[in-house]
Amino acid sequence: MSIVSIRNVSKDYMLGKTVVPALRGVSLEIEKGEFLSLAGPSGSGKTTLLNLVGCVDTPTAGTVVVDGRDTSRLSERALTELRLRTIGFIFQSFNLVQVLSVFQNVEFPLLLQGGLGRRERRDRVLALLDAVGIGSHARHRPSELSGGQRQRVAVARALVTRPALVLADEPTANLDSKTGANLIDLMKEMNRRDGTTFVFSTHDPKVMSHASAIVRIADGQLVGREAVGGDAAAAEGR
Amino acid sequence: MLPIDLLMASRNLTRHARRNLFLAGALATVTSLLVLLASLTAGIEHAMMESATTLLTGHVNVGGFFKVTSGSAAPLVSEYPRVLAAVRGAVPDVDYIAVRGRGWAKAVSETASMDLIIGGVDVTQEPGFAKVIVPLEGRLADLAQPGTVLLFQGQAERLQVRVGDVLTLSAPTARGVNNTADVRVAVVARNVGLLSAFSAFIQGDSLRQLYGLASSTTGALQLYLRRPEEAKAIAARLRATLSGAGWRVMDPDPQPYWIKLMQKVPSEDWTGQKLDVTTWEDEMGQFRQFIFGVRALTWLLVVVLMAVVIIGILNTLLIAIRERTREIGTLRAIGMQRRKVLWLFVLETLLLGLAGTGAGALLAAGVAGLVNLVGIAIPESMQIFVMQERLRFLLEPGAIAVHVAILTGVTVLASLLPAFRAARLRPVTAMHHIG
Repeated sequence: MSIVSIRNVSKDYMLGKTVVPALRGVSLEIEKGEFLSLAGPSGSGKTTLLNLVGCVDTPTAGTVVVDGRDTSRLSERALTELRLRTIGFIFQSFNLVQVLSVFQNVEFPLLLQGGLGRRERRDRVLALLDAVGIGSHARHRPSELSGGQRQRVAVARALVTRPALVLADEPTANLDSKTGANLIDLMKEMNRRDGTTFVFSTHDPKVMSHASAIVRIADGQLVGREAVGGDAAAAEGR
Repeated sequence: MLPIDLLMASRNLTRHARRNLFLAGALATVTSLLVLLASLTAGIEHAMMESATTLLTGHVNVGGFFKVTSGSAAPLVSEYPRVLAAVRGAVPDVDYIAVRGRGWAKAVSETASMDLIIGGVDVTQEPGFAKVIVPLEGRLADLAQPGTVLLFQGQAERLQVRVGDVLTLSAPTARGVNNTADVRVAVVARNVGLLSAFSAFIQGDSLRQLYGLASSTTGALQLYLRRPEEAKAIAARLRATLSGAGWRVMDPDPQPYWIKLMQKVPSEDWTGQKLDVTTWEDEMGQFRQFIFGVRALTWLLVVVLMAVVIIGILNTLLIAIRERTREIGTLRAIGMQRRKVLWLFVLETLLLGLAGTGAGALLAAGVAGLVNLVGIAIPESMQIFVMQERLRFLLEPGAIAVHVAILTGVTVLASLLPAFRAARLRPVTAMHHIG
């Protein structure tokens, strides 16, 4: 069953008076529980595709359906709500709120959602921080953490609302190879354990090798989709 | 959610402590200036209210003019006991009513002379009189004796007289002749601002004798109310009551009686008695204008300074938004609604505003309290206007709260434009912002 359905999507950007196509006629189905890698060189359209799937941008043409909802038909408010309830984001530069502690950064999406009591929130956040191996740093500020630790916090923040879909834009780009590998292992563990769908962009072949499937993009077009070793494991997890 | 909002707002403020301290300092300066000037004005107004409503006017006055011919006028109320009864019936909850004679005379001593507005007073019937008049020489009770006069310090110095000395009063009457009477200085009182420069008091019956008036004639009935703020409503009620009872009552005209006496009434074509009901604000019109002027200047100054502060706030917030564009994008991406982004920036400015204006108000209160404690003397030339001998700030918590609220409100309003701008940032633009 698809959690994301992209049909014949194009996205153009205006550079002055020049139209720059970022995506051209892209169609893609992403199944629930997949651990999917978007691969391609810089400027190929990976980030644009992630933005469209993440409902932070809208396509010039075509439709993007996320969790059964056509994003082109949703208001700004409804899109924000969809992001809050359905999607988790992991950013290349971590993008943590500097004035909040690790605990507060992870708790924040739960506060935005509302509904959970203080104790429930606390238990969930601490459990998740322990799961990503950063439980002992709950009171620290992001500026007091290493890059790897920050990205773990970002993963915890993305997962804390138990979203159906997690999007990660080059999550290992600012990490050394060992830390990057650890992070991918962590994401994969979450994918296996909870069945959370992960879509991440990368142009690092080592990172790609962990994916259940790789979607290759070049010049704004899908040029191939291939299943890799991780696919079987992902399928087991489903 | 509010605790985390407050935490974010306060930490964002302290994150850029230097520029925010500068802004808060500017706000504190404007607030303290506003509070100090407003307290000074309130102090003057209070002193004016206290002294003027004792020396010159009641909270409400039932005065009037008597015209023997259409071209002349005297500030008189004839058959005042009947008027007094009607007034008491219409305003049963009045604190007290003073029966005051009104006149104007030249006071002549052995060495000098000066023009004075003469009030005919019965000190035994006016409890408020002793609260304002501070005798420097003599006893206030001595003014109850016939043929006595109360002078203020400046007048006594100018006329070179002391308690016990005799003055001659020469009063022009409506018939064009001057009546004279000798009066003994019973009291020399401390000056009470401008009013004491030209006002003096003699015993009520002595004033009647000076003008050759009947005992049932007086200048005005001065009503002192328990709630002075009701003066206008009570004045309107009295006009209706007196008019309904058959007296001819003049239309409301917010001018002091002596301006009406000199300019308006003599030119009107009527004779006999007309009553004129005024409030203390009508009688003190020119002083009210002074207060209004001070207030206008205060606000003008505040508006100019606030304009500078607003530019600072706009600039600072725009810089903050630029610095935090990526953070805003992230928060929007993870599910923060636009209105929440708006709220965070407004909350930040609200905290800044409250801190700045609160500090300013406290500073002003401290300075004002200290000045009141020390009791700084006001130069004589200025005493006329401020009606005080020592600088006195009247700190009214309610008024200070209003000033703090106004300036904080303006600060928050100034933040709305940049806050809207932040809220309207597209998440995708903000997330990929480099800065």
